[in-house]
Amino acid sequence: MALQQRIRYRQAHAPGATFLTYTPNGKKLITAGVDNFCRIFSTGSDDEPVTVDDVQENNTAIVAGAGFFIAGSEDGTVSKYSLENNKFEEILVRTSLPVRDVALSPDGNWIAVASEEIAVKVVNTKDMTQIQILNEQTRAIKHVSFDSSGTRLALSCTDGNIYVYSLGSGEPDMIKKVDGMIKSLESNAEASSKVLWHPDGRAFATPTASREIQVMSLSDWERQRSFKTSHSQDITAAAWSPNGALLATTSSDLSLCLWDAKTQKLLKKYDDMKATILAMAWHPTENILSYTNNDGELYIHTDIVPAEHASLLQKSVQPAPFFHDPAEGRAGIAANQLANGTKHVLPERRARAGTPDSLDDLLGSDVMDDDDAGDLADFVVDDDGAGYAPAINGHGKRTNGHLPALQSPKGKRRAYGSSFQPEIHEGFQPGSTPWRGNRRYLCVNLTGWVWTQSQESSHHSITVEFHDTENHRRFHFTDPFKYDKACLNENGTLFSCQPSSGSPAMIYYRPHETWTTRTDWRTNLPAGETVTAIALSESYVVATTSANYVRIYTLFGLPIRVYRQKASPAVTCAAWRDYVLTIGNGPVGGDGMCQLLYTIENVKHDEIYQSEDIVALTPNSTLVSVFFSEEGDPYIYDSTGVLLTLMHWRTNGQARWVPMLDTALLSRLASGNKQESYWPVAVANHASGAPKFHCYILKGADKHPYWPQPVLSEFGFQIPLSSVSDKKAKDAAEDEMDLSDDDEDSAAIKKTVESQQSTLEQALILSSTLHTQLSSTLAHTRPTSHQRQALTNLEVDIDKTLLQLLAQECLAGEDRGMKALEIVTLMRDANGKMLDLANKVATRYGREVLGEKIRELEERRLVGLDEEEDV
Amino acid sequence: MALPLPPGLTPPEIAFLCEMELVTVIPRQKLERLELLGGSLPPLNPPHRAPLPLWLALLLKRQRRANILPPLWLSPHSLTAILDHETEHGDGFSPPPRLPPLPSQNTLPFSPPFLPSSTADAAPDALPYHWLELGEMLLETAADDFEDPDSVRKLLRGLREVRMAKLRQVVETLDAAGGVNMNGVGGMEVAEGRTFVTGVIDGLRKIVTSREQQKKDRDREERENGDDYDDDEMEMQ
Repeated sequence: MALQQRIRYRQAHAPGATFLTYTPNGKKLITAGVDNFCRIFSTGSDDEPVTVDDVQENNTAIVAGAGFFIAGSEDGTVSKYSLENNKFEEILVRTSLPVRDVALSPDGNWIAVASEEIAVKVVNTKDMTQIQILNEQTRAIKHVSFDSSGTRLALSCTDGNIYVYSLGSGEPDMIKKVDGMIKSLESNAEASSKVLWHPDGRAFATPTASREIQVMSLSDWERQRSFKTSHSQDITAAAWSPNGALLATTSSDLSLCLWDAKTQKLLKKYDDMKATILAMAWHPTENILSYTNNDGELYIHTDIVPAEHASLLQKSVQPAPFFHDPAEGRAGIAANQLANGTKHVLPERRARAGTPDSLDDLLGSDVMDDDDAGDLADFVVDDDGAGYAPAINGHGKRTNGHLPALQSPKGKRRAYGSSFQPEIHEGFQPGSTPWRGNRRYLCVNLTGWVWTQSQESSHHSITVEFHDTENHRRFHFTDPFKYDKACLNENGTLFSCQPSSGSPAMIYYRPHETWTTRTDWRTNLPAGETVTAIALSESYVVATTSANYVRIYTLFGLPIRVYRQKASPAVTCAAWRDYVLTIGNGPVGGDGMCQLLYTIENVKHDEIYQSEDIVALTPNSTLVSVFFSEEGDPYIYDSTGVLLTLMHWRTNGQARWVPMLDTALLSRLASGNKQESYWPVAVANHASGAPKFHCYILKGADKHPYWPQPVLSEFGFQIPLSSVSDKKAKDAAEDEMDLSDDDEDSAAIKKTVESQQSTLEQALILSSTLHTQLSSTLAHTRPTSHQRQALTNLEVDIDKTLLQLLAQECLAGEDRGMKALEIVTLMRDANGKMLDLANKVATRYGREVLGEKIRELEERRLVGLDEEEDV
Repeated sequence: MALPLPPGLTPPEIAFLCEMELVTVIPRQKLERLELLGGSLPPLNPPHRAPLPLWLALLLKRQRRANILPPLWLSPHSLTAILDHETEHGDGFSPPPRLPPLPSQNTLPFSPPFLPSSTADAAPDALPYHWLELGEMLLETAADDFEDPDSVRKLLRGLREVRMAKLRQVVETLDAAGGVNMNGVGGMEVAEGRTFVTGVIDGLRKIVTSREQQKKDRDREERENGDDYDDDEMEMQ
């Protein structure tokens, strides 16, 4: 075939605006123009096209689904035609003003029609009585465009805004008005402001007023990379290749450009166009780009992508060009943020290999792949509802009823039998956030926070700020290494960067102040090793790496330990003074996720306290953060919003996870109309001595803090004993009590007593838990006088709470004597007066028998009998 | 002695009293425990929150040594709710914050300014006694610690107008033996309303007294006449 013949040029219609579309399988190409017919071209054949008559004149849009196509015309009709007999079927929509654009949802069930009217109609292609009207916009819409999942619809309005609607079940809902992306264009202008959804579903792109193609991420509506096209006139059409690896743009300056989506570099420019191209369509599978111009001509440009770049088209779906792909940072978190069902492909996911000896291989791909194949694919029509064809919901989608309940969206990969892959927990750096726009927090704790901002992708700039502005000064530096992890404490800041083009991964420690000149140091990791997490304590620097090594350095950069982590791949690490906690993926648990295993060691004594013990998470929940409290106890925060601490962790085999706070049970959420989440920062003791959980409160569906920086909130611990509804009822009872102070309503009193009791129970278990924690800490460290005082206070607190509980039992009646005695036996009797006091309480309420028993107990304790009996 | 000031507390005096209220601050630098005449102040340890009296909080804020956390009732959401309540219920003021449960033993019951009614964890649904002056002072000094200072300012102004209008309205019922329920009225509102209300009451009293005077005069006249008559009768007897 001669080179010139590559561009097949066909006169499709009379001179004038012409549009085209491919059928989903790419076998047929349909054009519509100013004259009253459509033409259907078969891909790869030079035969005369089939002509479909009975079409309106002056068509402005055409879309094709499996077995049908739909054309919109300036006379205000949108008509559906069958591809089986190439005949007119029905008029789907009538508008009072000319139709400007029609978009078909990917499943072929819905069309969106934009006309000169303000409202946009979304109509079911099978049943035109199902109709949704979108009318939040103030002016006419020029373009409509469905995303790859069919749940979002972007309208490019002539007022220069983009309106994004969500078309879930129920009423359509405008989720975002994007201002300042597109140019304000007349609805019949040649120039385009169409929203181009990237095939990976996480971003879209639009032509801008400055003739660029700007990409915007969908999750946070931040501008990402842009394609700086050199078009000298307005862009009239653009299209992502089916896998999103390439972008084609064209403009009224009669040139057509191909761009590499990953690098935003120009791959090829064709500037020999004869007329302005108005519509472009990539062939769904082959290296063909077809386009129509405003002269009625159709070009089927085979081998449009030069051979040296053609491999780009063969790739699986490529990620959209983000500044910082959230999928690269913490893939697990980023993917979870996407709406369920959104098609997203992570870069590391491999395309499925073809089945050996598949029908296609044996028979050749052409046998079944006729146009009817689209229909054949769903030749089982469930016309009597017997259920042999998959049920579809109101939106024309299969319901998820056929999926086992266990599988989360991420878990679907496991369904492919032999290619079983365990779900591993992604590594993360505690206290950091993923990129959002061009900023992210690298580290947030009670000392301060470190954040980075990317500057034009060549370097980052890092800012370290402190809560205590007197002792430390905030500083700021330009960062050519692109550090992506940081730790901060009172002594210094630790950074690490990933290996990049030739230079290995690096760890950089920068002390805040020294008495000599500043002794910051850098150390390189062996080539090919990347850092998964770093931690900084008062005396050590810890890094876990992709080679499963745990590397421990002193504060001045001396490597003192390197060992391989038993649980791998590494997830994260934390450090406090001499203690180092590392977490890695262990064996696969019941929910298909790897169980997380932790190891705690004391570096100074070279002693391992807990080896490969389990991080207790509930099924399908993930670890969000891990840190040491101010007092040096390990805490974890999981994705269900529970804060847990590790008890007895210095004794091998004795460690267990104790929930200290369940944020889902907080009273501020009791009303039920608040949606907020808590982003853990730290656990530290309040001035009053009670430990507090410090966190950022995030409103709505946010998962990570952003700018402006939220205010740190603190919550006291509350061991989950009763649910919110119980508490609410009790609160209501208390309110009632307040209102009816005078009349002695016995029921109300009873409720108050109950609520008092539950407060006391809460106080009891909390202070005894804290007591256990503190006493085990003190047993292993040299206690300060302050700590010893705190321990005594806790002991007294416990006994006091028990006394109050005892008083309540005594008040309740004689028959509760057994429970009262049980409460007395729980007393620690630290100062030897508590049993006396208990006796007095019993006597005061006239419980003589109980008093007798308490005295007995007292005597037994004096001789030391009681303890032995318990054993 | 001639005192140039009107009776009662003047607005600056009210504002001064309000500075005893506790507010929550997030310190930006360390400060040791302070033993003051009014009680000891907690040590400041950034970024831990601490309750401080308003005067100290404002001082530290001006020196950029602390950030003040506005109480929850100063959020636009709560203020809108309270303003709605005020406009819907024309006959009374929004209720004051609920008092904490009485301390058990023989300790003294708390009253403002020792109630934590303006700290970050105060009730979000009620205006405390010093709401107006506290809001004004915080907006003046610590506007950057509010999420949306402009709307807070607007709502406070709205609340003030609504409540002052109500206060002026109740004067109508103030003649003779009328009484007014002043539950929930703030300190500054009392100070502002005092001149007007007392003026009205004084005026009313004057009218009433002049009327009474007339009546008394008439009575006396009658009595005098009657006395004469009586005297006459007496004489007659």
